[in-house]
Amino acid sequence: MSPAKPHRLLLDRVSGYADEAGAYLRRRRMTRNPFARVTYPGGRSAAYEPETEAGRRLFLAASKLIDAARD
Amino acid sequence: MRAVDADLAVARMGQMSPDLRGCAVLDGAGNALACSGGGRSGWERAGSGFLEAADAADGDPVAQVHVATEDGEAFAVREGGLAMVAVAERFTLSSLMLFDMRTVLRDLATGEGVPDRRAAGPAQTATSAEDRA
Repeated sequence: MSPAKPHRLLLDRVSGYADEAGAYLRRRRMTRNPFARVTYPGGRSAAYEPETEAGRRLFLAASKLIDAARD
Repeated sequence: MRAVDADLAVARMGQMSPDLRGCAVLDGAGNALACSGGGRSGWERAGSGFLEAADAADGDPVAQVHVATEDGEAFAVREGGLAMVAVAERFTLSSLMLFDMRTVLRDLATGEGVPDRRAAGPAQTATSAEDRA
């Protein structure tokens, strides 16, 4: 049996990386939930869950902004 | 700041961010200086509301906001008395989007104008070549 041609090895390596990257993106899409993150001057940041009052207002305002971009 | 600079800022955002659906530049009073797509009044209402909701979350004025929803992602950045609000596709690279917004807004806020890095059209290129000759 003859050894694999060098370019085949390279193609296998590249397609292997592409498969890994695709799987990473699929996992990211499946696991990523809606979120709201706010950063203040000085670098302090806070996340607001949709269940909280502040989070609910932020998500509502974000939806209106998304609608404005659609119009 | 010239109105054309605000328009240029919006155009530059569109060029830099392929995931961008639309954006607007707002002044301190919430008036839209420029916007892409949609109506100006719609951007003013929604953009001001978005910033107000973020400010009200903790009672402090915010520097930047990122809200990811099922329908898309909403961003806002404040810089030098101006604000930019933007909407992008889901799963966009948020750090890049916020960096681009801040860069464009900083150029606009300093009053030095937004560098026009758009490729020159064929007519402009021909004129430039003639000038050099």
